[in-house]
Amino acid sequence: MDNSLLVSLSQQLTAYQSMDVIANNVANVSTPGYRREEPMFQEYIAQMPPGEGETGKQTLSFVEDTGLARDMSEGPRTNTGAPFDVAIHGKGFFVVQTPSGNRYTRDGHFGLDTSGQIVDDSGNPVQGDGGAISISTDDGDIHIGQDGTVSGKNGQLAKLKVVAFPNEAALQKDGANNFISAATPNDATDFTLTQGTIEGSNVQPVVEISHMIEVMRAYQATATLTKSQEDLMGSAVDKLSQMPES
Amino acid sequence: MRALAIAATGMLAQQTNVEVIANNLANMNTTGYKTQRAEFQDLLYQNVEQPGAQTSDSGTLLPSGIQLGAGVRTAAVYRIISQGSLTQTSNPYDLAINGSGYFHITMPDGTDSYTRAGNFALSPEGQLVTDKGYVVAPGIAIPANATGVTINAQGQVQAAIPGQTAPAAVGQLELTRFPNEGGLNAIGDNLYTETPSSGSPQSAVPGSTGYGTIQQGFLEAANVNAVGEMTALITAQRAYEMNSKVITAADQMLQETSQLGGS
Repeated sequence: MDNSLLVSLSQQLTAYQSMDVIANNVANVSTPGYRREEPMFQEYIAQMPPGEGETGKQTLSFVEDTGLARDMSEGPRTNTGAPFDVAIHGKGFFVVQTPSGNRYTRDGHFGLDTSGQIVDDSGNPVQGDGGAISISTDDGDIHIGQDGTVSGKNGQLAKLKVVAFPNEAALQKDGANNFISAATPNDATDFTLTQGTIEGSNVQPVVEISHMIEVMRAYQATATLTKSQEDLMGSAVDKLSQMPES
Repeated sequence: MRALAIAATGMLAQQTNVEVIANNLANMNTTGYKTQRAEFQDLLYQNVEQPGAQTSDSGTLLPSGIQLGAGVRTAAVYRIISQGSLTQTSNPYDLAINGSGYFHITMPDGTDSYTRAGNFALSPEGQLVTDKGYVVAPGIAIPANATGVTINAQGQVQAAIPGQTAPAAVGQLELTRFPNEGGLNAIGDNLYTETPSSGSPQSAVPGSTGYGTIQQGFLEAANVNAVGEMTALITAQRAYEMNSKVITAADQMLQETSQLGGS
């Protein structure tokens, strides 16, 4: 009897976690370069000794979370017109150098710092083929080509570094729209950059909301099951205690 | 339950987004106004299961881990420094900058500020001042008997004086640039001040390399794109609603939980 409660509990725990993941997706619906995630579950089978009056072993099927599947598909691109907003089309990541090492990002909103270096929102320098990229005020309007070439009035200044990973699933999120990787990336080959645009989040509101309703309903169904299981136990105790003593 | 707190960060972020859009729309007709955009970042992640963790003695690895996010935050509200369109006013003291640079304004307390809004006028002493009466540096005085004032693309101010054939040079306007214009601090009244992140100002005569030129009788309009702002507003409002739906759903789940074992 207890087992059905435990099976319900395993479902409810995963429902809570799914809800957290969905909430994070929805909260990041406007975060540039954000990649949506989806929880993955698997069946966990436990063999229990036969109960009273049963002959075979009892097989219980619990549910447990195994991982998060990250959807690496491209987000929609919006035009901002800012000269240092760059969107990647195709596979690849920008490289930013943070105090704790290189991070990889699809968020192409960059700006200049005091010394004229191209930096991200946190002030970390964006990496070009020869390290950080410096722009001088004399370079005039900056043009960023499809292959990442940064050029000003006086010709080419540098080339934005865009890297790719053979296994994108191994990337970890590090917050601040950055990914972290233990593996060394290769130079990306199959991409085009667009200046003045930003890649949005690939969260699709309809998918998330329908997913959310699904999780909520499944949770409610399990809660109802738990409740009726409790009632059953309660009435069993009631009925058994009323047995006439003979 | 994290979902409640996560959705709350989402609502806060979208609220900021709507506020920024509202400010852009409100300043659609503000001379020299630059569109602002809110930029968001995801918050830190909690690693529940590390991707790449070993799952057996024979070295099989977990292909993907579990990282639970904590929501979103507003990383920056940045200005889009693009040229606004020039509108003709025919007022001789309306100046527009075509290209980059700012007018240098001396504030009443002696500090410096910078502006793209060139709707200037004359003070009772004949000095070129902003619509608030602040002096345009380096201080240009137009003689009281001048019948006409010409300001050329290079910022030279010349006044026509009755009885003189050649116009008299009465001053030279300068433009100021910053390594990082996005880092300027807006103080209202279309004015900006220098900050550590903007870098130190560099001044030159208009038309020098990297500096814009001056157009007399024109004003620079705001670079707000009304259609773009309206669609952004709709998107932001819907995103806000969705986050509140997540809160409702999480609340219902918690309610179910609290009713368990209640009877």
